[in-house]
Amino acid sequence: MIRYFSNIANNTKALIQGHWITLKYMFKPAVTIHYPDEKLVPFEMFRGALLFDQQVCISCNLCVKACPSNCIALENAKNETGKKIAKVDWYSIDFGKCNFCRLCEEACPTKPKSVWHSLDYEVIFVKRDEMVRCWKKDFPFIGKYFDRKAQDFKDPEGQVSIHDVQPRRS
Amino acid sequence: MTAPNPEDKKVPQPAKVPEPVAATPAAAPAAAPKAVPPKYVPPVPVLNHKNGRLIEDRFTTWPTQVFANRWSRPGFQWGAGMLVAIFGGLAVTGIVVGELATWADKFYAALSSFAASKGLSALFVEGVWTMIKVLIVLHIVLINGLWSIWWERKISAHIQSRVGPTYAGSPKGWNFHGWAQTAIDGIKLLLKEDITPAAADKWVHALAPGLVVAPCIIAFAPVLFGDNMAAASLDIGTLYIFAVAGISVIGIVMAGWASGNKYSLLGGLRGAAQIVSYELPRGFSVVPVLMFAGSLDLQIISNAQAGYWHGIIPRWFIFYPVVGQIAFVIFLISSVAETNRTPFDIPEAESELVSGFHTEYSGMKWSIFFLAEYAYVLLGSFLLATFFLGGGASPINAAPFTLIPSWMWMLGKAMLMMFVFLWVRWTLPRFRVDQLMDFTWKFLLPWSFVNIAIAGLYLAFWFK
Repeated sequence: MIRYFSNIANNTKALIQGHWITLKYMFKPAVTIHYPDEKLVPFEMFRGALLFDQQVCISCNLCVKACPSNCIALENAKNETGKKIAKVDWYSIDFGKCNFCRLCEEACPTKPKSVWHSLDYEVIFVKRDEMVRCWKKDFPFIGKYFDRKAQDFKDPEGQVSIHDVQPRRS
Repeated sequence: MTAPNPEDKKVPQPAKVPEPVAATPAAAPAAAPKAVPPKYVPPVPVLNHKNGRLIEDRFTTWPTQVFANRWSRPGFQWGAGMLVAIFGGLAVTGIVVGELATWADKFYAALSSFAASKGLSALFVEGVWTMIKVLIVLHIVLINGLWSIWWERKISAHIQSRVGPTYAGSPKGWNFHGWAQTAIDGIKLLLKEDITPAAADKWVHALAPGLVVAPCIIAFAPVLFGDNMAAASLDIGTLYIFAVAGISVIGIVMAGWASGNKYSLLGGLRGAAQIVSYELPRGFSVVPVLMFAGSLDLQIISNAQAGYWHGIIPRWFIFYPVVGQIAFVIFLISSVAETNRTPFDIPEAESELVSGFHTEYSGMKWSIFFLAEYAYVLLGSFLLATFFLGGGASPINAAPFTLIPSWMWMLGKAMLMMFVFLWVRWTLPRFRVDQLMDFTWKFLLPWSFVNIAIAGLYLAFWFK
C-alpha cells in the first residue's frame, strides 16, 4: 500500500520534473544559425579551400610531392635565356582530388606560405572543369579554371567567396 | 552591442586571427589595378547585452561566432508588430463589441423577419440558420488545423532549442516565424499525387479518411464556444460528444485494414484497442462533474461553475478539492490517448510501425487524418475548459477581467489546454503496448471509480 502510493508520488514528481525542463528549454534561445543570413566563422585551424599566391611561390615542387592525392601541379617559369627561375609559370589545384589535409601547406618553405588553407567552407562547383583551378602568370590573383569546351580560362561561377582573400596564419 | 571585453576568455577569436600584414608586400595581388586585397574584418560576435558575453557559450571550439543579430532582420520586427497588433486588436474588439452571441441573435431576428416578409416558412429559417452554424463550426475545425499545426511546430522546435518554420510567408519580410507554413503545406498536399496501393481495398481505402474526420466535425455541434454559443444546445451534449467521437475508431480500423499493409493493420488494431480502452476512464472521469452540475448539458455544466468561493477562488470543478484534480488529470490523460498523440501514439508508432494506419495514405487523404487529429485536440481542449476550467467564466473576480467576453475566456482556456497537449507530446516518450493497457485498466479506471465515490460523499455530506 505504502509502496503503491510512494510509487505514484515518485512518478508524478518525475513527470513534473520532465515537463518543467521542457518548459524551461522552450524559453531559452534557439541554437539554430540561419545559414545564409548568419554565418559561422570556423575555428582557427580549419582547413577550408586552398589558396595560392604566385608572388611568393618559389616553384620548389615540395607541395606537389607532399600531396597524397596528387592534386597539385605546377611548372617553372623560364627567363629569356630559357633557364628556369624560382617563379611559377602556372600552378593548378584540382579540388576534385584535394582531400584538405594541409600537407602541402606544411611542406611549403616560403614565409608567408604560398599555398594555404583559407577559412572558406563554401566550396561550390557547378561544372567539373571548375574543380581544376589554375593560376597563371599575369592572371588575377583568384583562381580561374580552364573550360575545355571553350578552350579558354574563365572565372568560376559556382564559387561563392573564394574571391575574398582570407587571412593567413603564418 | 558592446565591444568584446579583452579579459573575457569567451571572445578571443577575432583577436587571434592575424590580419594581412603590411610588412609582407609579397602578399599583394599580382594585378596592379586591384591595389590591396580586401582586408579581412573579423565578424562582430553577437553578445548578450546584459553581461557582454557571447550568447552561445555552450560551444567550446565550434561554432565560435555568429554573424548578424537576427532581431535586426526586418521580418522579425514586422512579425512582432503583427503579433502585438493581432492580440491587441482581439482584446479591443472583444471589449468593445462584447458578446458575439448577441450578434447571432440579431442576425437570427433579421433572418426571421426577412422570411416573414417574403412569406417563407419557419423551416426555411431554421434550415438556413443551421447551414450557417454548420459552416461556422466547420471553419473553426479547418482553421484550427492551420493554426495548431503551425503552433505545434513552433512549440516543438523551441522545446528542442530549434526555431521551427521561419521563412514561409513573404520574401519581403512578412514572414513572422513562418506564419504561412501550414497554408503552403496544405496547398502542397492538395497538389500531391494521391496514391492508392495495388493491394488496397479501394473503396474502403478512400472512405476511411472521411469516416475519421466526419464524426469529429459532427461532435463539435454541442461544444460551447462561450456562454450560449453552441451550434446546438443538447441536453445530452456530453454523452453525444463521447458517443460520436467514438465512431472515428471505425475509420482508423478501416484505414488500417484497407491499406493492404501489415503495419497499417497493426496500427489500426492498436488504435482500436487503445481508443476503446481509454473511452472508459475518459467517460468515468467526467461523472463527478456531471454529478455536481446535475446535467449533461454543457451550458448547465458551465453555469454550475459560476461564482467565487470567498470572492476569490473561482468555483471551477478543477478547484474542488481532490475530486476535481483527479478527474482533471484522468480526463487530460485519456484525452491525449484518444487523439493518438505521443505518449500514447502506439497506433502510429514511427519506430515500430512505419507510420501506423496512415502509412499508405498520401496527399490530401493523409492530411485529412491530421486534420482529424488536431480537431480532436481542439475538442479535448474545449471540453477540458468547459468541464473543469469554468467555461467562459473569468478566473479573477475583478473589473477588467470580468468585462472580457466569455468567448475570449473560453478560447484562452482552450488554447492553454491545447498548449498542454503539445507540451505533453514533446516531453514524454512513447508507452509500450502492455504498459499502455496496464495504465488504463489498472490505474486510471479504478481511480476514476474511486473519484466517483468521493464525489458521492461530497454530495451527501458537503453540498446538501
